[in-house]
Amino acid sequence: MELIERYLQSVKFWLPKQQKDDIIAELSADIYAQVEERETALDRKLTDAEVEELLRQRGHPLLVANRFLPQESLIGPVLFPIYRFVLKIFAYGYLLPSVLVWVGLMTFSSSYRIEHTHPSWFTAFASLFSYLWFTTFLAVGAVTLAFAILERMHARIHFFDRWSPRKLPPVRNPNLIPRSTSSFELAVNLIFFAWWAVYFHSPEVQISSELRLSFHSQWLWLFWSYLLLALVNASLAGLNLMYPFWTALRATLRLLSDGAGAAIFCWLMQANLLAGIAAVNLSAQQSIAMTQAINDWMSRLFPASIVIGLIVVATDAYRIVRLKSASRTVS
Amino acid sequence: MQHMVQTMNQEPFENLRLELRRGCLVLAVLAALRREQYGYTLRKTLSEHGLEIDEGTLYPLLRRLESQGLLASEWREEDKRKKRFYLLSSGGAQVLDQLLAEWRSIDFSIHAILKEHNHGTD
Repeated sequence: MELIERYLQSVKFWLPKQQKDDIIAELSADIYAQVEERETALDRKLTDAEVEELLRQRGHPLLVANRFLPQESLIGPVLFPIYRFVLKIFAYGYLLPSVLVWVGLMTFSSSYRIEHTHPSWFTAFASLFSYLWFTTFLAVGAVTLAFAILERMHARIHFFDRWSPRKLPPVRNPNLIPRSTSSFELAVNLIFFAWWAVYFHSPEVQISSELRLSFHSQWLWLFWSYLLLALVNASLAGLNLMYPFWTALRATLRLLSDGAGAAIFCWLMQANLLAGIAAVNLSAQQSIAMTQAINDWMSRLFPASIVIGLIVVATDAYRIVRLKSASRTVS
Repeated sequence: MQHMVQTMNQEPFENLRLELRRGCLVLAVLAALRREQYGYTLRKTLSEHGLEIDEGTLYPLLRRLESQGLLASEWREEDKRKKRFYLLSSGGAQVLDQLLAEWRSIDFSIHAILKEHNHGTD
């Protein structure tokens, strides 16, 4: 019967201190009663193998002990979906963009790549991994701690009891275009159109009486492209204001205009279009240095502009996919 | 194919069966303990009436019911071995009556719903 005593000792280890002896005495009585009944039926002592099988059927000591323990959790089922939601926001809103920016910098910025891949690519990956691991560890730890505290507070305060259906967010329709958004877009595009047409129609731009910017001849391509885009966007915003629901055609037009805008913007960032700056109290040498610095900074921002452009285009593409799948569901 | 469907349905059925049995077991334990018994004999009594219950479920349940004042227990020696005997308390008897009334009411409602459905499909 040594096996039974070993089994009981293992169960006892996990039991709450105050109840240990009581529970074990009852469990012991139950096991020995079962053994005696089997022995009476067989008219012989049970073998070790038979006792082993009998104990195995009762389950692992930890599982048996667990049934006597109060149900405990760090974050309960009420708060867990919110906890998971916050972690998802962290993953998709911070971790994923961090990796994308890193990939963008490594791909398009030679200075960044040279600086971070010394002495090897392994160094770059190791540094990215250690950064991501440390950030994730800290963020997940902080979020878990905050939710564990909230869970304890919730058990006492019951803050979910104080709510009103009137304070719930309005029903969302992803295909509805808010008129406020369309009005804002219309106003911004018209103002941009006028400002762009008045001040930037020539490669020589007089910002004020004391400051003048000069651009290379490709500037005119940029000027006409953005003028046209502003006109297209203003027309689209006007149309959306009148018919405030996305259609496949308008969603496609938005994708094309945003895609073109993003592509031109990315080109602008690395085209070194600024040819010179003329300002009062600015020497020729200072002007050259400042022009070079501005062009360099714009080049450095090129990877970021690609990432932003891709996000905008992906959002627009997703809108089209959503509209098509919705129309398939309806038909 | 039929076997696959059967296997797919087996898991939800098993979960629902356990859920359904959980409340019924409380009723069965309270009813069986109108006569004093210790854990092992209680388990056998329930088993003989078609309600198998493992000790990992029974003993925590007995402790819970006792802490709620529905059962009373005492340690006594029987057949040279110390055993804990349980008996329905007076409060437990009242709760058992209320639960049985609820049980019959649910049973009546389910039968009525099934009967209505059968008439609808006839």
